[in-house]
Amino acid sequence: MTVLLAVLAGLPLTLLVTVCAFAIGLVGGVPIMLGLRSRIFPVRIATRFLVDLIRGVPTIVWLFLLYFGFSFGNFRFNSLGAAVLGLGIISAAYLAEMYRGAFLVLAKGQSEAAQALGFGRRTTFVRILAPQAIRTALPSLTSYLLALVKDSSIASTIGVTEIVFAATTFARQNPESAGLTPFFFAAGVYLAVSIPLAVVARRLDTRLRRSF
Amino acid sequence: MGVPLVTQSNELPTAGVELSHISKSFGSHLVLDDISMKVAPGSVTALIGPSGSGKSTLLRCVNLLEIPEAGTVTVGSKTVIAGRKVSEKDLLALRREVGMVFQSFNLFPHFSVLRNVAFPQERILGRSREEAEARALVLLERVGLKDKAHQHPGKCSGGQQQRIAIVRALALDPRAMLFDEPTSALDPEVGVEVLAVMRELASTGMTMIVVTHEMQFARDVGDHLVVMADGKIIEEGAPNAVMSDPREERTRRFLSAVLER
Amino acid sequence: MDLVQYFPRLLDGLGVSLQLTAISVVCGYLIGLLFALGAASIRPWLRWPTLVVIEIGRGIPALVVLYIAYYGLPSIGILLENFTAAAFGLTFTVAAYSSETIRAGLQSVDNAQREASAALGLSPLTTFVRIILPQGTRSAVPALMGLAIQSFQGTSLAYSISVNELMSQSYQVSTVTFEYLKVYAITGLIYVAIAVPATWLSMLVERRLARGHV
Repeated sequence: MTVLLAVLAGLPLTLLVTVCAFAIGLVGGVPIMLGLRSRIFPVRIATRFLVDLIRGVPTIVWLFLLYFGFSFGNFRFNSLGAAVLGLGIISAAYLAEMYRGAFLVLAKGQSEAAQALGFGRRTTFVRILAPQAIRTALPSLTSYLLALVKDSSIASTIGVTEIVFAATTFARQNPESAGLTPFFFAAGVYLAVSIPLAVVARRLDTRLRRSF
Repeated sequence: MGVPLVTQSNELPTAGVELSHISKSFGSHLVLDDISMKVAPGSVTALIGPSGSGKSTLLRCVNLLEIPEAGTVTVGSKTVIAGRKVSEKDLLALRREVGMVFQSFNLFPHFSVLRNVAFPQERILGRSREEAEARALVLLERVGLKDKAHQHPGKCSGGQQQRIAIVRALALDPRAMLFDEPTSALDPEVGVEVLAVMRELASTGMTMIVVTHEMQFARDVGDHLVVMADGKIIEEGAPNAVMSDPREERTRRFLSAVLER
Repeated sequence: MDLVQYFPRLLDGLGVSLQLTAISVVCGYLIGLLFALGAASIRPWLRWPTLVVIEIGRGIPALVVLYIAYYGLPSIGILLENFTAAAFGLTFTVAAYSSETIRAGLQSVDNAQREASAALGLSPLTTFVRIILPQGTRSAVPALMGLAIQSFQGTSLAYSISVNELMSQSYQVSTVTFEYLKVYAITGLIYVAIAVPATWLSMLVERRLARGHV
């Protein structure tokens, strides 16, 4: 029981890191997606390069880079900041791709109808295309969130006291008695968190599908 | 008589359309080859021809969904010259004069039918929500779809969706209407409902350009028939005259394939 | 740059990373295929346990799997040295993820293929091995290539159990030189130098496959 409590002590930070990074990704993904769809060739190429770069570097390397390597005058990231920012930037790159994919699937006729009616480009995007794209992207977004919960575990490597950190700390402090238990509980907590999330995601998906 | 399809608020006369020396290529393929066409205000022009003849492309040049590489497009008193940069403002101004109906309807699935017809009026003509929705309901009633107002397009049949699409375009009081194969995606029986709406619209004096395979419609309702093939206009004239006695061999071939199926 | 002297160490680490990738991908996909078959089995005593194992494999962070393999297993008598533990752990994760992809690929093969094969008189086994499997894996190839690239990046997690792969080496170099930014940047670029061209290659393969099909 003490093991479970020790491991659960890490849950708040797991959730905090996940939610903050996802929020950054949701918002940050938009300008990146716009850059990927830009009609200006250099912008499109540069954004593509940026996205490939962000996604090509493993998460742990990004976190170490931000935590150990980044210093601006007197400012250094603390472990939580580095974790949230690092995961946030990576999320933005992945979510931007999902937004882009959702727009690609949008029927070409929608933007043509909007143009033919005389809507300007901004109205067409915000009121006609984006609402439909969000509905299309939602399943991918929710499955990304589920993956992000697991990726938050990487923050343990730079000292964020989330679930895995709590488990390894407990294991280190009780080498004889601990054994598999803290890790099993950690695994269990992750499973326990992801199952309700998956259910909510599926319900959201069917509800949105019906309203169309 | 009932409520007319084009109501009193449409005091402006309808506009004529003129395309002059229009050329366009897709890559190395010349789709429109120096085409000139004049559409008198209030007339109905039917555009027919084999697939790949460029008829849809030509139609889409009128509201600049396709930008021609050469030539000029005139709607009413507004002219756009190909090659010269067209400002966003002028582009929108031209598109607001012309309504378009697509083969695949293209209603906005995330809006209700009522919002589909009202929202463009609010956003483009600046009408208030009450005014826009009132006008929308009047028009929907005229095509017999008032009871669908609060449903989403996905729940409507193809014929219903197309009639709603026509109403959506008409709600903006356009001075000319473009139809891009409006019944091609519909069963023949269902297409009849849509053609009926188009007939009535024609009788009110709306300038219409219709790309279609519906020969009966072209003959009965059209004032002018334009036959296209391989990016050129090969023949044009009064529908009855062209269809019963075509001058060109190509026209003859096309018409016999279409009329004697 | 005085960091050049450390390049050989980093490249050694890269070699270990690539070895780990190769093992986890090859073994992982084979086991993933078995999982996929098990999950699609009509026999409940096979299907349910397999589904549970797959969901666990996909639901637990790879880092936790690695810790279990290295720190946890000794308590039940299984002592693995770090490379082996990493290999087992990553293989398990890859197997769980790939099983879903492979299952989807196999299901995407038109039922008509099965019917045609049966009508010709081919046995179910032959049908599966010679007709369904080749087509199913073919449609799964792009996703499997993406998964392979991700598992290459995932080998960086083996740092946490002291495997001498690229991430570990770069950590050690950084603590010796104190050039944190440069070292991690270079490490990142090494990963990118392999992952990004591999991604472009997989997109090319995807496009080529799509063309050849219909």
